[in-house]
Amino acid sequence: MSQIEFKNVSKKYGQDSAALDEVSFSINDGEFVFIVGPSGAGKSTLVKLLIREILPSSGVVLFNDGDVGLIPQIDLPSLRRKIGVVFQDFKVLKSKNVFENVAIALEVADSSDEAINNVVPNVLGLVGLNDKIERFPSQLSGGELQRLSIARALAHEPDVLIADEPTGMIDPGSSAEFMQVLDKINSLGTTVLMATHDFSIVDRMKKRVIRIENGKVISDKNGGKYNG
Amino acid sequence: MDKLWKNLLISIKREKFLSLSTLIIMTITFTVLGFFLSLIVFSQTAVKYLENQAQITIFFKDDFSEKNILSLKGKFEKDEKISNVNYVSKEQALKIFIDLNKNEPILLESISANILPASLEIRAKRLSSLSALAVEFEKIDGVEDVRYFKDVIENFRFWSNLYYLVGLGLVLIFSTISFSVVIALIRMTINSKGEELEILKLVGATDAYVKRPFIFQAVFFGLVSSILSFIISIAWILSLVGSKFFGDVKTVFVLSVVEVNIFVYLVILGVVLVLSGFLLGYFGSLTAVKKYLKF
Repeated sequence: MSQIEFKNVSKKYGQDSAALDEVSFSINDGEFVFIVGPSGAGKSTLVKLLIREILPSSGVVLFNDGDVGLIPQIDLPSLRRKIGVVFQDFKVLKSKNVFENVAIALEVADSSDEAINNVVPNVLGLVGLNDKIERFPSQLSGGELQRLSIARALAHEPDVLIADEPTGMIDPGSSAEFMQVLDKINSLGTTVLMATHDFSIVDRMKKRVIRIENGKVISDKNGGKYNG
Repeated sequence: MDKLWKNLLISIKREKFLSLSTLIIMTITFTVLGFFLSLIVFSQTAVKYLENQAQITIFFKDDFSEKNILSLKGKFEKDEKISNVNYVSKEQALKIFIDLNKNEPILLESISANILPASLEIRAKRLSSLSALAVEFEKIDGVEDVRYFKDVIENFRFWSNLYYLVGLGLVLIFSTISFSVVIALIRMTINSKGEELEILKLVGATDAYVKRPFIFQAVFFGLVSSILSFIISIAWILSLVGSKFFGDVKTVFVLSVVEVNIFVYLVILGVVLVLSGFLLGYFGSLTAVKKYLKF
C-alpha cells in the first residue's frame, strides 16, 4: 500500500515558472527513497508539500491515503508528528541542550515527563549522542548537530523520516556516519525519504532513486544511481 | 506548569526593561482604577445620602393658622415628588432654638415662642426636584420664607459627577496604554523567539502549545500588577480609616455621615482589580498572539 503519493502535483511561486510540474510518484511503507536533482530542481518544495508547509497549486499529495491539502489546521500537528524531518540547516534550538532539543518534540505532543525520560536517551543512543546530552548546539560538530536533528525527528516515532539535503553542511566522514544511522532507522521499519544532490552517497547506498529536474520527474529506478 | 514558569522567568530575564515597564504601567493602571472606583463609590454614596437628607423648610407668617399649615401638610404628603413632611410648631421651634443656644442665656431671655415661625420640613425624593418645589412653595399664601441648601448639595453632586467622568476617562486611557504595552511585550517576545516558534511548529506543536506561554506571561503580569495595586489601595484606604478599622469593621468613612463597611468594600475591590488584571492580561495577549503569531 502506498504511504506517500503525489498525483499530478504542480507548485508555482508567484509568477515564476513552476517549481514542480505535474509530478506523480508513490512511496510504499518501509521504503528508502532518494529524491535527487540539481539545486533548484524542486526537491525542497516536495518536502514542504508533504509536511504542508506549503500547498500545491494543483494536484493532490496523499499521506496514508489522506489528502494532505485537506487536513484541517487543527490536525496539522498530528500530521507533522507522523513525519519526522531532518533539515539541511538542522533547525535545533540554540538555547536548549541536546536532551532538551529532543525532548521538545515530545513536549509539544504533551508527553509525560516519564515518557520523555525514557524515549530521549533511547533515540540519542540510536544516533550515538547519549554521551553528550548536556551539551549545547554551539558545543557540537556539524555531524553531531545533524544526528541531533535526526534524534529529534525520531523522538515521536514517525511513520516517515524525511531528510532534506542533510549532508550539505557536514564533512564526508560525518556524511557516512549519518547515512549509517538512516539505514539503521530504515531497517527498523521507518520509511526514509532523502532529498540530496550528493551523488556519492546515492551511488553507494543503491536504493530507489527519483530524479527531478526543472520540476519534472525525469526517472524513477530501484537500486538506481544519481545519474540514472 | 513548571515549564510555563521556567519560560516566564527566561522571558523576564531576556526582556528585563520591557517586563519592568509593563509591570509598572499595569500597576499604575489598576491603582488609578482602584482609586477612582473608590472615589466614585464613596462620593456617589455620599450624594445619595445627602439627597435623602436634603430638605426644604417653609416658614409661615404668624397669621397663618396651624389648621392651614396641617392642611398643607396633608396635601404635600400626597405629592409624588415629596418623600416626607414634618411639622414644626412655634413651640417646637422654640425648643430647638433653646437647644441650639443653651450657652447664651442673654439671647434666650428675649425669646418667646411667638416670635419664632412655624414651619414644614419637606424632604424631596430627588435632589433635582428641590428647586421646582421651592418655587411652588413660595407662591403659597401665608408663606414667609422658603429655605434649602441647594448650592452645597449641587456642588457636591457636581464634584461627584466630575470624579466619575475624570475617573472613567483616566481608567480608559490607562487601560488602553496597558493593553498596548501587553501587546508590545508579547510582540517583542514573539520576535525574539521567531526561529524557536518556527521549529516548534515544524516538529508538530499545536497552536495552543505555542500560544500558552505568551498568555501565561501576560496573565501573570496582569495578576501581579493588580495584586500590587490592591495592596496600594488597601494602604491608602486604611490610612484614611486609621486604626478604627481593626476595632470596628463597620467604619464611618469619607464623610462622617456615610457609613461604608470597609471590609466588604475591600473584598469587592480586590476581586474587581484581580479580575481586571486577569482579563487585561488574557485578552491583551490573545490579541497580540493573533496579530503577530502567524500560523
